[in-house]
Amino acid sequence: MNPLHPTARSWSWPRSATLVALAVVLTSCGRDETKVYRVEKESPAAATVPAAQAAGGGAQGQTEGRPRLTWKLPAGWVEMAPGEMRLASFRIQGPGAKQADVSVIPLPGPAGGDLNNVNRWRGQVGLPAVTQDEFARLGEKVDIGGAEGALYNQAGQNPAAGEKSRILAALLHRDEVTWFFKMTGDDALVAQQKPAFVEFLKSLQFTAAEAPPALPPSHPPIGGAMEPAAGGGPAKPNWTVPAGWKEEPPTQMLIAKFSAAGDGAKAEITVSAFPGDVGGLLANVNRWRQQVGLDAISEADLPKAVNETEVPGGKATVVDLDGTDARTGKKTRLVGVIVPQAAQTWFYKMMGDEAVVAREKDALVKFVQGAK
Amino acid sequence: MLLDKLISFFTSLKLTVVCLALAVVLVFIGTLAQVDMGLYKAQNAFFRSFIVFWGPQGADWKIPVFPGGYLIGGVLLINLVAAHYKRFGFRRDKLGIIITHLGLILLLLGQLATDLLSRESNLHLRIGEARNYSESDRLTELAVIDTTDGDTEKVVAIPDSTLAEQREIRNAALPFTIRVKQYLANSSLSDQAQPGFEKCPATAGAGPRLWMKEEPRVTKMDARDVPSALLELEANGQSLGSWLVSEYLREPQSVTFAHHTYTLALRLRRYYKPFSLQLLDFRHDIYKGTEIPKNFSSRVRVRNAATGEDREALIYMNNPLRYGGLTFYQASFDPDDKGSILQVVHNPSWLTPYLACLLVGAGLTIQFLAHLIPFVKRRLTP
Repeated sequence: MNPLHPTARSWSWPRSATLVALAVVLTSCGRDETKVYRVEKESPAAATVPAAQAAGGGAQGQTEGRPRLTWKLPAGWVEMAPGEMRLASFRIQGPGAKQADVSVIPLPGPAGGDLNNVNRWRGQVGLPAVTQDEFARLGEKVDIGGAEGALYNQAGQNPAAGEKSRILAALLHRDEVTWFFKMTGDDALVAQQKPAFVEFLKSLQFTAAEAPPALPPSHPPIGGAMEPAAGGGPAKPNWTVPAGWKEEPPTQMLIAKFSAAGDGAKAEITVSAFPGDVGGLLANVNRWRQQVGLDAISEADLPKAVNETEVPGGKATVVDLDGTDARTGKKTRLVGVIVPQAAQTWFYKMMGDEAVVAREKDALVKFVQGAK
Repeated sequence: MLLDKLISFFTSLKLTVVCLALAVVLVFIGTLAQVDMGLYKAQNAFFRSFIVFWGPQGADWKIPVFPGGYLIGGVLLINLVAAHYKRFGFRRDKLGIIITHLGLILLLLGQLATDLLSRESNLHLRIGEARNYSESDRLTELAVIDTTDGDTEKVVAIPDSTLAEQREIRNAALPFTIRVKQYLANSSLSDQAQPGFEKCPATAGAGPRLWMKEEPRVTKMDARDVPSALLELEANGQSLGSWLVSEYLREPQSVTFAHHTYTLALRLRRYYKPFSLQLLDFRHDIYKGTEIPKNFSSRVRVRNAATGEDREALIYMNNPLRYGGLTFYQASFDPDDKGSILQVVHNPSWLTPYLACLLVGAGLTIQFLAHLIPFVKRRLTP
């Protein structure tokens, strides 16, 4: 700045007002404000995991010990980033803006039962629900990685969008996991992709569960919008395995698995533990009731439906249910013992042939009481 | 008179020198502070502020200790403009000085505009994927999405700063009030009881199964805060339940009210564009026989429904795509080489530094020539 030649111009208010206004305008820009806008609906596959650079630990558990899967990618399929629930995710771009989305989701246990799941999908394409008998005739046998699964083909109109859409879903029960392979999207495109889907299912290979990986520091830990998993959970207690029970390799959701056989029939005993009360006693009793095709009961009916037994350090709840296996449609019996212990709830479940379960019920209760 | 005193203060050259000296000191201490505070916090505390405050660690009081970047820059700008008005009337022989000063003013204003108006975000695409929005790399928002309609969804996006400040959020587009019961600027969640974690008191959604913990704010450059919040929705004086929202939760949580279904999500702030970018291919070339990267490139397809434009573009190092007022740079990629991360820069004042430098250069040249020519003429005159 040149201090020479001061011309001593007069200072006018309009000039200063302009400066102040400019400063106000500039500083008021870029403020955070709530925005309201409309966007086109995102297809589920587009919701990929952002590569956020996140901090902090905690919330591991969901990806730990997840089963692994390999496949042969059909032509025209685009592999998307897997999600929290999705072990694998694909997208198929059809002619025009038509799209189909393929997801692979493993869930512990019967995951609500096959009938309910199929009816849920039917509802999504505007089809009426089917009964247990109708359901039994609905499935088409399909080869899923060498195992036999069932393929359900639902076509109709999406009640929300009014578009013709189709859901092609294959179900596989493998150990204690229900696998969902689902292709959703435009009716014609999904119908046309069915042979590719069947080939994809055939090409699947299940391998042993992954060792719990340490999340890279750049990866945000994931949260529990899923069923609680037993990853990193409690160790196997000391127990005496009843005579006649055969120990089997447990899957990733289980702490131990046994089988008891007799007269060509079989029952399966599984032991699992989850943190917290896992939704409470009623929810768990109803979950088991659903597995054997029984209606849910209310809180008021609960005391009549269960028995109590003493276990070291407290009381356990014994549930005894006769019904039909939601998966196979065969008559079955389920005896379950729920043991709340410290911050954990332990589930001992025996399910299978009625005669075998009746014979082994006392052994199961003794087994639970002896577990330390 | 007071006004005269004020004017002589703002037009004095001493003020210019003091401001420049303070700016030097501010840059020095602000740079050192980044070691402890991290880049973004230090930038906000020292440069994007009017006053720099200081308080002993752990104390909840702070005292102003130094003028901040906005104050120094603002006073410098006023000083420059005021001095100009006061001292330099338009004279032909001062044309060079006037243009140089205009250049400086433009530089200061341009930097302020860049600071206030520019926005950087990320666009993460997997091969084959198309998106019409980019995401902030650290700012988050609470999105309350009305998913009732068939094809579109109505989004009410509430910035994290509002969540952190306000106890109660009302919006004309929402039929309920959102009460922020707890806001954790950085957090961890767990699906089992762990030391330091408290049971989440939410009554609906994923929250009841989770434990949460407030974490100290992140200062590292390559990490960021992951916020969580406990919200209660209220309509007609009645609670609809309370939800835990967190960036950790990716599965949508829904609430149905008055025949509308709303999804709650705390997510990275989104910036929608009137066009979409699809990643057709990502290449990560390495020098043969080594692991040394040679080139990263993303082949993208730009589609704009409004203009009917549909074309391909190749983005690689030092060759960004400029489209729709935005610049897309190749920034990063997924570890499996099947996805690419583009940095999206929106800077409406990107031209001002260039223009300012041109003006300063032209002004100095004119001023130099204004002295040189008469000097040479005098020398040549016998």
